[in-house]
Amino acid sequence: MAETSPGPRARRWVPPLVAIVLILAAWQLFTVLSGIDRWLLPSPADIVAAGGADRESLAGHTLATVRLTLLGFSAGVAIGLLVAVVLHVVPVLRAAVYPLLVVSQNIPTIALAPLLVVWLGFGVLPKVIVIVLVCFFPVAVATLDGLARTDPVTTNYLRMSGANRRQLFAKLEFPNALPAVFSGLKIAATYSVFGAIISEWLGSEQGIGRYMIIQKSAFRADRMFVSIAIVVLISLLIFGTVVLLERILVRGRPRRDAHE
Amino acid sequence: MADPGVTPMSSEPAVALEVDGVHKSFRRGQETLPVLVDISLRVENGEFVSIVGPSGGGKSTLFHIVGGLLAADRGTVRVGGQDVAGRRGLIGYMPQQPALLPWRTIENNVVLAREITGEPRRRSRALAREWLAKAGLDGFASAYPHTLSGGMQQRVAFLRALLSDHELLLLDEPFSALDAILRVDMHRWLLDIWEENRRSILFITHNVEEALLLSSTVYVFTGRPATVLERVEVPFARPRPDEVVDDPEFVRLKRRLTHLLKHDPRQAR
Repeated sequence: MAETSPGPRARRWVPPLVAIVLILAAWQLFTVLSGIDRWLLPSPADIVAAGGADRESLAGHTLATVRLTLLGFSAGVAIGLLVAVVLHVVPVLRAAVYPLLVVSQNIPTIALAPLLVVWLGFGVLPKVIVIVLVCFFPVAVATLDGLARTDPVTTNYLRMSGANRRQLFAKLEFPNALPAVFSGLKIAATYSVFGAIISEWLGSEQGIGRYMIIQKSAFRADRMFVSIAIVVLISLLIFGTVVLLERILVRGRPRRDAHE
Repeated sequence: MADPGVTPMSSEPAVALEVDGVHKSFRRGQETLPVLVDISLRVENGEFVSIVGPSGGGKSTLFHIVGGLLAADRGTVRVGGQDVAGRRGLIGYMPQQPALLPWRTIENNVVLAREITGEPRRRSRALAREWLAKAGLDGFASAYPHTLSGGMQQRVAFLRALLSDHELLLLDEPFSALDAILRVDMHRWLLDIWEENRRSILFITHNVEEALLLSSTVYVFTGRPATVLERVEVPFARPRPDEVVDDPEFVRLKRRLTHLLKHDPRQAR
């Protein structure tokens, strides 16, 4: 048989996959051998079975959470980008607001969620606002940093060649900021799912967060694990979409894993 | 053959650049730092003129004034007969570092200056491909800048300035980051391209030999604050062979300019 060495892609994916399989196998083995109560720690097989049995109800809850997350994420990203661009173009505003933005990153905005429920009730709006709040700051701060990091020599080159403010932004500053924008987007992607779950905990009729609260009262650890798995999946899906977009849009720079 | 996109129109005035009595100083806190003192120079149409002077002597400041980024405190700058006074977009510029946009392909980088002035896209692309081929860069049109060596990136930066459709090109120490061997290659390359379409070039360098090899007129600047120490005509016919550097007259001029740079008469006072 001809010798085939695994491609670099396979070499990167195989070890973590093997690790996951080993962890799940150890978990399964532990639950069987130790005889631990199912309601306390269900085995992976139990969790899969529980998910399968409840799939119709889960589908509805998952859809509601995905919808809420995407709505909040897109609104948060749009507002974050807009605010960053306005602050960048108006330096006086930037000088006044930027320090506040940086400090506010250290405040757990999620703590505002109960207050928003008091003010706005249990509808979609307070939930979307929570997600917008958690997505807005990382996107705005990363974008502002990226826009400020434009190379002065290139800026001079474009200005001496006659570029106006709009051209300078569109041809240099914004494309130059894109990698930074994407690191903000990646943080926002994970935060948005987390924001959606917490706002659903505080009061809602549908959604994985709601489902978790119900299962907690019923002491159904197996179904709690199912919902955790779904939350992780949603999070990875949104994150993966952002990474894919980044690969398409950020061009011409050596990737971090390229050797140079 | 004459190329309307690159070759200047014959109706243009005969002087590409006139700098007349320019002064410039910067304020640092309470202090005023003079950078340029009474600078006057001119570049005729189709002439290759160099400014040679110590590094950090304010030569780039002069370029920023000619390019309209800064205003002179006193004096006038005329590009193609028009008073510049803070007007940008009248010159083609090649900075010290290539300053290519890393997310654009080489071809898209070369057309950047034309894109800014709103030239038709098709024509720009055709010109870009034509000149990339002439410059020995065919095959790199759709490559990204980080895949090119420093010398090749500088060639691209030069083409970008060349295609900008302005009569006057400002080149700011473009080869100072290259090693000696590559530098000689680049001189040959630059002269070949320049012979072909004779634009007006103002070239900044701190290398005397480079200035003498490339130019017809050399202005020797002092260190900061910069003034014009001397204007030297370089008599060698073009196209210049590589051996011109061994010509006794060349050697004599080189020695003289080097001496001028080392022994600034102002300091002797």
